[in-house]
Amino acid sequence: MATITTSLQGSLQGSSEKSVKAVHGRVLGVGRRYRTVVLVLTALFFLVPVVASLRYSVVGNNNSISFSSYGAIFSDPQFFSSLFTSFKIAIGTVAITVFLVTPTVVWARLRRPDLMSALESVALLPLIVPSVVVTLGILSAFASLPNIIMGSPVILALEYVVLALPYTFRSIDAGAGAIDIRTLVEASRSLGGGWIATLMRVIIPNLKSGILSAVFLSTAFVFGEFAVASLMSFSTFPVWLVQVGQDRASESVALSVVALLLTWGGLVAVSIAGLRSTRRRSAVIEDELFAFGEQL
Amino acid sequence: MAIKVLRRRKPILGAVPFVAYVGIFLGIPAGSVVLNAFRSQSGSFTLSNIHSALSGGYRQSFIQSLKLSVIATVIAAIAGLLVAVAVVGMKDGALKRAIMAASGVFANTGGVPLAFSFVATLGNFGLITKILLSGGVNIYSGGFTLYSVTGLVIVYQYFMIPLMVLVMIPPLEGLNSQWFEAAQTLGASWPTMWRSIVAPVIMPPFIAASLLLFTDAFAAYATAAALTSGTIPLVPIQIGSLIQGNVVANQGNLGAALGLGMIVIVGVVAIAYVFVSRRSNRWLR
Repeated sequence: MATITTSLQGSLQGSSEKSVKAVHGRVLGVGRRYRTVVLVLTALFFLVPVVASLRYSVVGNNNSISFSSYGAIFSDPQFFSSLFTSFKIAIGTVAITVFLVTPTVVWARLRRPDLMSALESVALLPLIVPSVVVTLGILSAFASLPNIIMGSPVILALEYVVLALPYTFRSIDAGAGAIDIRTLVEASRSLGGGWIATLMRVIIPNLKSGILSAVFLSTAFVFGEFAVASLMSFSTFPVWLVQVGQDRASESVALSVVALLLTWGGLVAVSIAGLRSTRRRSAVIEDELFAFGEQL
Repeated sequence: MAIKVLRRRKPILGAVPFVAYVGIFLGIPAGSVVLNAFRSQSGSFTLSNIHSALSGGYRQSFIQSLKLSVIATVIAAIAGLLVAVAVVGMKDGALKRAIMAASGVFANTGGVPLAFSFVATLGNFGLITKILLSGGVNIYSGGFTLYSVTGLVIVYQYFMIPLMVLVMIPPLEGLNSQWFEAAQTLGASWPTMWRSIVAPVIMPPFIAASLLLFTDAFAAYATAAALTSGTIPLVPIQIGSLIQGNVVANQGNLGAALGLGMIVIVGVVAIAYVFVSRRSNRWLR
């Protein structure tokens, strides 16, 4: 009875948010106590590993506090060389991704909007083939390719473009959906701009936020990808991290802390940037972030 | 006439580079795995790879992988739903936004760093292990080890639960309060409302999200490899050892057969996902 009166009042006041929430809470059977218990337990589950890692990185297996494991990381030449390898791969992956996906999305939105969902499905295909299986296929199908591709991280850069597509395609597409491409292109064309000039000087600058989040997502992918790199024996950053972990546990944990914090910081930055530029489409950003869980 | 010409000339050129790229760098490797699965070492057609992939230790690894993914998915799905319900009931505010943002961030955490942070938590010398030990509980003597399927189930929750929360919040918020009011006016009880309003709306996205989580756990390699150094016989780990040559030679294309098995399982789940998620959009317009 009380429910009915409050919700009636709510709908009289134009169905204020509050009453909707109240009804939700009551019907779903959720009280304040339930909420507190669930949220505190969840928070513990997610924060304890972070705290434990911070502690482990300075304490190690014995109980003396020292920051030597952080120092040891930086004095290891392998640290910089693996980081540099991953960095080079990331540049290749990012460049190919931006120049492959952006024109495709812009073209499809202008000329064949009906193809959009098909293209999106193509971009999701990598989720169906586990990366271990992709590696197996690369090793057997591309074995005869010249050494400059198969014998160097070039192959990783080429493959990461595809493997990161489920995340990058969405973010560039979300960026493109937030601007009026048709008008921009028509304006540029009628002012005499060629297609290349239109793409480079009109479309890409306007797609900045979508492209930037794609850049970040593919960079994070490259710096986190382990399966393909390790099975093809390339010493990228995560591969080296696992090697360190085999005999120097506290150093590997220290590195993991740094890697996690950097990734998290970047993700938060991307979602804030995305929210700011496409506030009306904030659901898209969540969508896009949610799809990024499969980089393992 | 003019219309006909236009129709015939629907432009496709712009999609060619993209589709060709995916075809070359995903289609060719995947295709070669599928073909090799049916090929003997001399190149002739054979079913013996498939046969050995489905028998003995390899059959066991499929069972282990399925077990890991199903258990991890069920736990994450239930926990994620409980959290999502708690979040939906909240007032819009800084805390709620923070939870949503944190879910987005944690859902993207995985791979090697995640494995190591759990070593620091529940490993032999981890924080929780030590705290429990000082309280007189030795989880490792009680049969637990982080470097096992149980351990992986726990570690995977770190990215699976947030994924579930992110997916379940929109349908839960989409529950229209007028439906509840109508039901209450008609005298519906609380369980009735759950059964006939909440369940039909949230079931399709719940199942769809669970399928997504399943494929995630099933295909994951990095966390398992870093945590167990290849000692747990999961399918991706087995394929990894075959690639690295850590097994007896003359296995020929066994790896390809295992890979085909993974593609089939993930593919079937993905198709189920597409069907279920189509249904789920109906109530959320």
